[in-house]
Amino acid sequence: MTTLSDQKLWRLGTAKAIRILQLLFLSIALWFIYWSHIYELTYWNKTLLESFQSNFPNVLVYSILIIAVIYLESQSKRHRRISMVPSSVKTREISMSTSSVKSLEMLQKENEQLKHELMKSKKIPSNKIGIALVIVGALLLFASVRTSSTILAFIGLGLTFWGALFLFARSTKFVRIPILDATAISSYITLDRIIDDLNYKGKPIYIPPYPKETYLPEYLEGLKEMVVFISAKDSTTMPNIEEMAKKRFLVKNPKGICISPPGSGLASLFEKELRADFTKIDQESFYDGLPRVIVNNLELASDFTIEAGKELIHVKITNSFYSNLYSKNQNLKSVHSIGCPLTSAVTCALAKTTGKRVTISKTKLSPDLKTVEIWYQLLEG
Amino acid sequence: MQFPLSISDITLWIAVTAMILLITSELLTSYSEQFGDFPIDKTRLRLVALILGASFMATVLLRAITPSII
Repeated sequence: MTTLSDQKLWRLGTAKAIRILQLLFLSIALWFIYWSHIYELTYWNKTLLESFQSNFPNVLVYSILIIAVIYLESQSKRHRRISMVPSSVKTREISMSTSSVKSLEMLQKENEQLKHELMKSKKIPSNKIGIALVIVGALLLFASVRTSSTILAFIGLGLTFWGALFLFARSTKFVRIPILDATAISSYITLDRIIDDLNYKGKPIYIPPYPKETYLPEYLEGLKEMVVFISAKDSTTMPNIEEMAKKRFLVKNPKGICISPPGSGLASLFEKELRADFTKIDQESFYDGLPRVIVNNLELASDFTIEAGKELIHVKITNSFYSNLYSKNQNLKSVHSIGCPLTSAVTCALAKTTGKRVTISKTKLSPDLKTVEIWYQLLEG
Repeated sequence: MQFPLSISDITLWIAVTAMILLITSELLTSYSEQFGDFPIDKTRLRLVALILGASFMATVLLRAITPSII
């Protein structure tokens, strides 16, 4: 089964139109300011007041344009907020037979492989382009000085600048998605083996840590670390505090295991990007900031929506970097219960912010694995 | 031998480049999914665009305050 949201498509179109309008208005306003004041101040030796008086209609026009830009900015922010915490959007579902899903998956895999091959064959490192542009630009600048040519100077300046920009703005830490998957898979396989071997049936429960600044006796310092408890039986009983504080793997009362969540590192990165401690942040800032960090700052997914209920929190992630981990070919069981690194990080963040224990109640995947929907449950006590 | 461009020319060039970069960085930030495979650091691109925009505004201010300098 797959879900499509018409409202999202409409929202993207509106946001794009608002952005283009803003830039257009701003550009026109800037040129109005430039030609009505700066030109007169420079070449006609007018004072700023004289320029304002003689260009009253122009002043009116660019003031209106700038007000329009500010208004549009507030509108676009509203749109962004709506997209981050959406109301329940009615989706229409398209049913697909299992055979077509399989063939779709195969085709996508082939498509990915072909893309990689194409990239390899076409790959020209951006630093080489940058260096080439800088060298040509510098030579043209030198030639412009020798020949006193304005055109050559403009071209040289442009090429040197773009070359420098290519060198400065090129991505230095570019990692391909299959590499990310490959590094994450082994830990999930190990976890699957442990759970299967011990025959544990319980749902993984994310237990929130104590805030870092809180004073705790030395023997309880271990409680400041985020842990996931997997019980032997399907119960939500908390493990003994002393056992957790000792950072034990095997817990006796109740029987289970305590592990470090796969997304704890990523959750710390979220805190760093948000410049906030999740144990102290208010929930409104959290729900507003988290999608921004995941989509814009870290670019881990193309879209992220979070909707908070009383007990269940619904999260929808589109085009997640880790969505391949959910693939049937990988056959990972624990990824559905404990979550992929991204969903696990979100669970850690939720547990820290709410101060409550959190479990992944339900996971729903689209057939093409582009959309992952997760329902988190907050446990009282 | 003298550099053929005056300060006014460079100001104009900065204005045009700043506009191009600001538009590019705005579109890149709003629609990241369309540029998923584009290996460029968007934060740095935006930083350069803002620096250029600010330097243009600085030259404009300089002209407004002391037109005889430039």
